[in-house]
Amino acid sequence: MKGLAPLFLGIFGTFAFSWIGLTVIPTWQIGHLTPESDEEGTDIYPRPQSGMFVRGEHVYAANGCVYCHTQQVRADYIADDIERKWGNRRSAPRDYIFDRPVFLGKMRMGQDLADIGARAPAPEESPAAAGAVSPVGATATPGAAASPGAAQATSPSPANALATTPAGSPGSSPPATAPASPATSPATVLATSPPASSAGSAAVHTSPAPPGQRTGVASPSPGQMANTTPGGSSPVAPSAQTPGAPWPIQTAGLPPMYSAAWHHVHLYAPRSINRDSNMPAYRFLYEKRRIAGERSADALQLSGGDAPPEGWEVVPTYDAKCVVAYLMGLNQSHPLKEVRSVGGAPPIGGSPAPAVQGASPPPPSGASK
Amino acid sequence: MNTTEIPLKDPAVSAAAGDTEQLERAYIDASTRVPVLMFYTSAIAWLVVGTVLAMVVSFKMHSPDLFGDISFLTWGRLRPAHMNVMVYGWASMAGMGTAVWLMARLCRARLRFPLLLAAGAAFWNLGVLIGVGAILLGDSTGFQWLEFPPYVAVILFVAYTLMASWAVLMFRHRRGDQIYITQWYLLGAFLWFPWLYAAGQLMLFVVPVQGVLQSAVTWWYANNLLFLWFGAIALGTAYYMIPKVIGRPVYSYHLATIGFWTYALFSSWTGMTRLIDGPFPAWMVTASIAATILTMIPVATVGLNHHLTMQGYFPLLRYSPTLRFTVFGAMSYTVFSVIGVLISLRSVASYVNFSQVSIAYTHLGLYAFFTMTIFGSMYYIVPRLVGREWRYGSLIKLHFWASAYGIGLMTLMLLAGGFLQGANLENPALPFSESIETVLPYLRGRSLAGILLTVSHFIFAYHFGLMLLGLGRTSTVPTFLNPVEAEISGGH
Repeated sequence: MKGLAPLFLGIFGTFAFSWIGLTVIPTWQIGHLTPESDEEGTDIYPRPQSGMFVRGEHVYAANGCVYCHTQQVRADYIADDIERKWGNRRSAPRDYIFDRPVFLGKMRMGQDLADIGARAPAPEESPAAAGAVSPVGATATPGAAASPGAAQATSPSPANALATTPAGSPGSSPPATAPASPATSPATVLATSPPASSAGSAAVHTSPAPPGQRTGVASPSPGQMANTTPGGSSPVAPSAQTPGAPWPIQTAGLPPMYSAAWHHVHLYAPRSINRDSNMPAYRFLYEKRRIAGERSADALQLSGGDAPPEGWEVVPTYDAKCVVAYLMGLNQSHPLKEVRSVGGAPPIGGSPAPAVQGASPPPPSGASK
Repeated sequence: MNTTEIPLKDPAVSAAAGDTEQLERAYIDASTRVPVLMFYTSAIAWLVVGTVLAMVVSFKMHSPDLFGDISFLTWGRLRPAHMNVMVYGWASMAGMGTAVWLMARLCRARLRFPLLLAAGAAFWNLGVLIGVGAILLGDSTGFQWLEFPPYVAVILFVAYTLMASWAVLMFRHRRGDQIYITQWYLLGAFLWFPWLYAAGQLMLFVVPVQGVLQSAVTWWYANNLLFLWFGAIALGTAYYMIPKVIGRPVYSYHLATIGFWTYALFSSWTGMTRLIDGPFPAWMVTASIAATILTMIPVATVGLNHHLTMQGYFPLLRYSPTLRFTVFGAMSYTVFSVIGVLISLRSVASYVNFSQVSIAYTHLGLYAFFTMTIFGSMYYIVPRLVGREWRYGSLIKLHFWASAYGIGLMTLMLLAGGFLQGANLENPALPFSESIETVLPYLRGRSLAGILLTVSHFIFAYHFGLMLLGLGRTSTVPTFLNPVEAEISGGH
C-alpha cells in the first residue's frame, strides 16, 4: 500500500462509521425519552430519584455489585426471567432514563435486581423491625419507592431530599411539600413531577389506584404480617416457597424477605440466609458497637455465629442505609405503553403468585438442600 | 526438514543483506532501548500485580469470606482493579512497547524524541496507579472497562497524546514509500485508541447520553478496545514476527489488504452483541450480530495468509520461542472469533448471555490472542535491546506451557461452566441457586488454571529481570527451546 492519505482516510472512515452507527443514531432514536403518564398526567413513570437513592447508586457502583447482578428483565418469549418473578414485564429503555450510571450488567452470579424493590413486602408489615422501613404512607407512588429506606428515623439530614424530588428536571415546583408526608395528595404529586411525555390529557378518567402501585399500597397479606420486634423472635410465615421462587428461600427467624431489614442482614451475613450463597459479606458497611442504654431501633437481627456478643449490636452505616434505599427503590413494575405486562395485574408485593405451570414440587424448606 | 537449514535469527541478514543494513538495524534497535524497555518493565510489573489480583478474585468467587471484612479487598472492587490493571497496565503498555519498536524498525529510522515516549510512559503509569487506587478506595465510575474516574482519564489522555505525537513524528521521518502491513495495523491502533477513549469519555461523562445508551457506549468502547486497539496491535505484530522469524515474505499482500479493511469495518460494529435481549432497539443488536458473523472474512483471510506463509516451516515451532508464542496467538485469534460468532447468535446468547462464557470470551481475546502474541514479540525484541540472549531455554518452555495450558484450561472451564450455568438459569423449574452451584466447581477449576498462569508470569518476570540486569547469555545464537538440535544449526 502506498501513500498515507488513503490509509488514514480508511482508518478514520471505519471508526466514524461505527461511532455514528452504534452510538449517534441510537442517541437520536432513543436518547431523548421522557417519562410516561396516564391521561390525567398524574401517574408518572419513571420519576427522577435523589437523596439516599442516588447515594446508594454510588455505593452500588463503588462496590461492584454490577459484576454479579444484572438489572434487566428479558421478554417472556426469550427467557424465563419473568417466570422467575424478576419482573412482570420486560425492561424497556424508558425504565432507565434517570439511571446514572446504568447498571444493565453482564453477569448473573446473583439474581436480577431490576425489580427488587417491587418484591418488598408492604411497609406496614414490618413496622418495628430492626433497621426496617417505616411506614411511608398509603399514597406512595412507585416513583417514591426510595422512601421506605430513606424514611428511617435515624437517618441524617438528606432524609428530606428523598422521594419525589425531581432532580434536575426543569420547571418543577419546589419539592418542599412532597417528601414522605403520609398525606401526599395526588395533586402534590402532579405538581412536583417532571413534565409528562405523551401529555395526552384529553380523556380524563379517575382510576384512583394505577395497577402498578405496589410498593406503597399493597394490602397486607395475612401471611406476611410479620410482627417482628427488635431482639425478639420473628413469627414470619413464609409463603414464598414456590418452585422457581426468587432465591434465596425465605427461612424462619429472619425479617420478611426483601424488606429493608432483610437486605441489611443479607448484606452483612449472606450465608446466614442462604448457606450456599457466594455473595461477599459487606461488613465494612456496618458498625459493631456497644449498646449504650437502649438497643438501637435499626440494629440488625442476627443469629448464630454472626450475632454480636452480648451487650453489642450491629448497626448499618449511612452508606448501608443508602444502598438498601437504592435496592428498595429499584422497581420496574409500573406498566409502560410500549411493552406488554405479563399476567395482568402485578402480584402483591412480597408474596409471589402461585406456582408457575409445569413446575416441580417445592424444594425442601430451610436455607438450602 | 533438515535442521541445518533453519534460519532462526534475522534470516534476511544472515543470507542476503550486507553488513551495512545489519549495522543500521542494530543502531535503530539501540535507539529504541530506553523507551521500549521502560514500557516493557512497567507492563511486566503490572502483569505481576494483575495476576495476584486475579488470583484473589478467582478464589473469592468460591470462597467469598476470604479477606471479607476489608472494604478495599471486597470482591466487587478487586475485580475491576484486576481488569483495569491488565487492560491499561499490562496489555496497553506491553502493546505500546512492541508497537514503538516495530514502528522504528519499519520506518527504518532511528527513534527520535525518546523523551516524549518516556514522559508518556511515566504519565501512563501514574494514571493507572491512581486509577487502580481510586477503584480500590471506592471511586469507581461503575462503567465496565471504564471504571477509572474521569480525572484519571485526563492523565491517561495526556500520556497518550505524548505517545501518539511521537508516532506521527516517526511516521513523517520514515524512509521509503512502502508501508508494510504491520504499519497499517499499528497506525490504525495508534489513531483508533484516542478516538475511542475520547468518544467513550465524552459520551459518558462530559455530555452523558441518556439511560441505556450508557451501556451501549460502554460496550461499543469495550469491544472496539478489544478489536481495534489490542487486536490491531497483535495482528500487526504477528504479520511482522511470523515472516521475520521464518525468513520468508508474507504469502499474499492482496489477502492482507482484504483482511485489514474487513477487520476494521466489521469488528468495529460488534459491540452490541453484549446486549442481546436487552432493552434496546432490535436493529442495534442485529447489526452487531451480522457484523460479528462477517468478521469471519478477516479471520479467514488473515488465518489463511499466516497459514500459507508458515507452510513448510511448522517444524520451526520446535525451536523458536517467538514463533511458538506468536503462532499460538494467531491461532487463538481464530478460536476467539469463532466463539465470538457462536455466542452472539440469539438462540445461544439467550442461554449464555449472563454466564461465565463472556469472561471466557474476554480472556480468549485479551490473553490467548493478544498476550501470547506480545509475549512472542518480547522474546524477539528484548535480546536486541539489552544485547544478551535469554538465559534459560527451559524457562521459556515452562513459560509457554504454563501459559498455554493455563489459558486453555481456563477457557474450557469457563465455557463449560458457563454453558451449564446458562442452561440452569433458563430452566425455571430449578431455583436460581442451582445455577450458581452448577458453576462453582468450574470456578474452582478456573482457580487451578489461574495458578498455572501465575507460575508462568512469575517465571517470565524473573527471566525478564535477569535480562534487564544484564545476566543474559552473551552469544550470537538466540536461545532456542530445544537447544541440542538447535546448536547444530547455530554452529552452521
